[in-house]
Parts: sequence; C-alpha cells; structure tokens
Amino acid sequence: MIAIKHLSKSYGPKKVLDDINLTFEKGRVYGIVGENGAGKTTLFKCIAGLEDYHGTISSDYDNLKNHIGFLQTAPYFFSKITGREYLRLLANARKIKVENYDEKNIFELPLDQYAVTYSTGMKKKLALTALLIQSNDFFILDEPFNGVDIQSNMLITEIIHQLKALNKTIVIASHIFSTLNSTCDEIHLLKGGVFVKKVYQDAFAQLEQELKDFTIGNKVEKLGLR
Amino acid sequence: MTHYFKLQYKMLNRHLSEFGVHPVVGYLLGLLCFVGLSVYLFYKTAFASYIYVFLAISLLVNPGKTKRNDFLKSCFSKLDYLKTRLLENLILVAPFVGFLLYRACFGEALVLLIGSGGMAFLNFSRPFTQVLPTPFYKQPFEFTVGFRRTFLVIFFAYFLTYMAIAVNNFNLGIFAILLVLFTCLSYYFNPENRFFVWIFSLSPRNFLWQKIKVALLSATLLCLPIDLCLAVFFPEYIKIVIGVQILGYLYLLTIILGKYSAFPRALDLPQGILIAISVWLPPFLLGIIPFFYVQAIKRLKEILE
Repeated sequence: MIAIKHLSKSYGPKKVLDDINLTFEKGRVYGIVGENGAGKTTLFKCIAGLEDYHGTISSDYDNLKNHIGFLQTAPYFFSKITGREYLRLLANARKIKVENYDEKNIFELPLDQYAVTYSTGMKKKLALTALLIQSNDFFILDEPFNGVDIQSNMLITEIIHQLKALNKTIVIASHIFSTLNSTCDEIHLLKGGVFVKKVYQDAFAQLEQELKDFTIGNKVEKLGLR
Repeated sequence: MTHYFKLQYKMLNRHLSEFGVHPVVGYLLGLLCFVGLSVYLFYKTAFASYIYVFLAISLLVNPGKTKRNDFLKSCFSKLDYLKTRLLENLILVAPFVGFLLYRACFGEALVLLIGSGGMAFLNFSRPFTQVLPTPFYKQPFEFTVGFRRTFLVIFFAYFLTYMAIAVNNFNLGIFAILLVLFTCLSYYFNPENRFFVWIFSLSPRNFLWQKIKVALLSATLLCLPIDLCLAVFFPEYIKIVIGVQILGYLYLLTIILGKYSAFPRALDLPQGILIAISVWLPPFLLGIIPFFYVQAIKRLKEILE
C-alpha cells in the first residue's frame, strides 16, 4: 500500500498540488484524469521522488523508488543508444539479468536501431517494455496509450490486466477516457492541483458525460466555424 | 527576425548566468580567451591562418543542422530564413574575420566571409543512423554513446601511436594516450537526465563505485592498444606511460565525482576552477577528490534514497 498524505507542491508562488490525500492498494488500477496543467505529471514525479514536495508518502517498501516503474509522457533517450541497449541499461539499474531480450520484445521493436530514430509510439513501447523487464511492483503510467497504434493499445490494456492479476498497483493518466474505462477500478479527477472527485466503475459513464458537458459546453459554437 | 536574434541573445545570457557568470563578465572573459588563444596559435605555427579558417567554418556546422533549420523554415518566409542564416553565420565568424584582418591575412578573411555565406545555403543531413558496434554494450551509457560520437578521435589517436613508433617519437605516443583519456573525460562533462540516475536501485556509494568501475575499465580498454605499443617499442619509458595512465585515471575519477557533486546541474564555475587548478597542480587532486566525493554522496542521496 502507498499512502499520500497532505502532499503539496509549489513552483515559486504557483501552487501546483494542494493537500493531496490518496491511498493506492495492491492489485488495483487507478486512473487520474485532469486537464493539461492540472498537476498529474507533477504528482507522479513527487510519488517517484523526482520532485521535492511537502507532506508524506509512505509505503510497505523499504525504498519505494526501487519498486516503481515510471513511464513518462515523453520518455528520454540518449542519441546513440539502441533499443536493446536501453533495455539493458534499465535492467542493469535494477540488477535484473535477462537472457534473451528478443523474447521480451513483445511490441516487435527494431531493437538494434538507435532509439531516437523510433516514432513516438515506438519510444513509448520501448520504455514500457523496459519497465516490465524490471519486474516493478508499482507502475505509474503517464499517457501510456498516447501515440501508440490500436494493436499495441490492446496489448497494453491486456498487460495492465495481467499486472493487476499479479497484485501490482497501477496508476494511469490518460486523456483517452475509453482506455481508462477498460482498465481502471477507480478514477480520480484532478483539477487545479486538487482531487475534486473519485468514482468507481459503475459511475464511469456518468463521469465521462460530466467531463464532456463541462469541457465542451458551448466552446465550439463560440468559434463560429464556417 | 529581430525577435529571433533578441531571443538568441537572451538564451546566451541565461546560459552564462546558469554557469555562474554575469553575462558582461562572460563576454569579456570570452573575448579575452579568444584573443589569447588566437595570439598563441599565430605565435605557434605558420599554418595558423588556415587552421583558423577551418575552425571558424567548423563552427558553422551546428547551425546548419537539418532539424534546427526545418524549424526555422517553418517559422520564417524563404527570404527571411536565408537572411537569418546569413546573419547568424556572419556573427559567428566576425571575430575570426576581425583577427585575420588584424594579422593582414586578407585573402583568408575573404575566403572565410565567402565560405560563411555559402554555408548559409547548406543543411547538414540527418544524424548518422547506422549503428556502430562497441565493446561497451554490456554496460550501456557513457562509453557506448561517447565511443559512437568520438570513434574518429580514438582511431586518430591509434594512428598517432603508429606514427610515434614510425618516427621514433615517444612524446607523440604520450599525446595519443592523453587524447584518448581526454576524450573519455568528455563523456562525463554533461549531466544526464535525472531519470537515468533515479532508476538505479543502488546506494549513492555503490552507484558512484559502479560508475567509476565502468569508467576505469572502459578507459583502460581504449588506452590499452597504445599503452602496449609504447611498452613494446619504448620499454625504457614504461614508467612514464604508467604514470600518465594513472594520472588519467585520477582525472577521470575527479570528473565523475565532480559531475555528481553538482548533479542534476552541470558543473559550475567554482567547480570548473577547482578542476582547472588540479590540472595545473596535480597534487591538488588529493584534496579535490574527497571533497567532490562527499558532495556527490550528498547530492545522490536526494535522488537514490
């Protein structure tokens, strides 16, 4: 279990996260939704320990960071490193020995090409493969479906189901509601750095409708498209 | 277009400020260094003007990179884009042209001016995507990336070793070792993305040890062909070869510790000064290495624990 208590984060005078309280249980999938700039990525970085924050994050693990697989929105790759070397770098970092990387290459990526030459979706799939090889217990997936083809989206959804069955904890941020609908046990709505709503599976459809009504409203009409 | 150059100026000022230098001081220091090195170059060799033109033209390769220019083309009209490139190149070569004129090298100055104009019409193709095999694949990162970026320098150093033996010039051989060692040091000049430290499930001490171990083994692998050749062909100087190699290891250690003592920032001016003093006065390393080590452990604790 991971418990976040009274977590706040500011950049200068701007408060990005304000008194966040949240608990993540094992074997559950959590969705985080919110507009761009709502604070999702900052929250993830705080949980991962990549950002300083006020408040506490406690867990059952001795050093939570060593159990987290963090898929970033735009994973970074060195300019002259191949896909295979990237996988090896992340496996080495967690002292994982892998006999056959090709076997783990379920997205069929060209592992012997430089990773920077990959498309956006391929980069995401490579980063995700590396996290899966690390055998993490807690996954933070920031926009895992973004830029990824339909077939791989289906594969990622299945992977999330498998991870849940293995009693792992998964937190997903996505702007594609259908992907959350098919994977999450509960969804939290983040707005202006504060969690304003929590819904369970039976109310996902209602939340989606609310989001649509609130987000779209009469904004498109204002454009006066002709 | 004016806005673009104002932005470039602002960005340069920000880089200098981040480095810990007031922009005005930075420009003055830059000018002093430029003049000093130029005077030194012209004092040292009769081919200085040609080297000078070559150096100035090589500075224009970076602004000519395709990706950057695709962006500029998408921002400006065709005419404004060309004006921007021409002006940019002229600004970059202006100090070189000025010094060449001062040295009465009018022909070279003209060649440089025409060359810089011509370079504005060139775009350098996309990065070399052919994967170069390296012996460092088991511990991918600094040496894998670094070797692929600098393999020509490494092979040039091996060629110098051959020349050292051919013309019986031991000093040239030592220069070849120093060239390889300096190239290895350069792999650690810039801090990596914070994520690539965060991923390690190691204590700060073990993390540093791991980095140092990989660096020393990999640097040894690159230096070994030169060391062995010099040991065979100049056996009377073997102690000097070993001494240079050990000194190189110490600097490698210093740079790695220095890098993580500032992490995730790049090395700043005070740290740069400490390293510069140690180059001038090697015994100073005995103080710097433990100092950087303590600082590095402190920095890494924030990320790894």
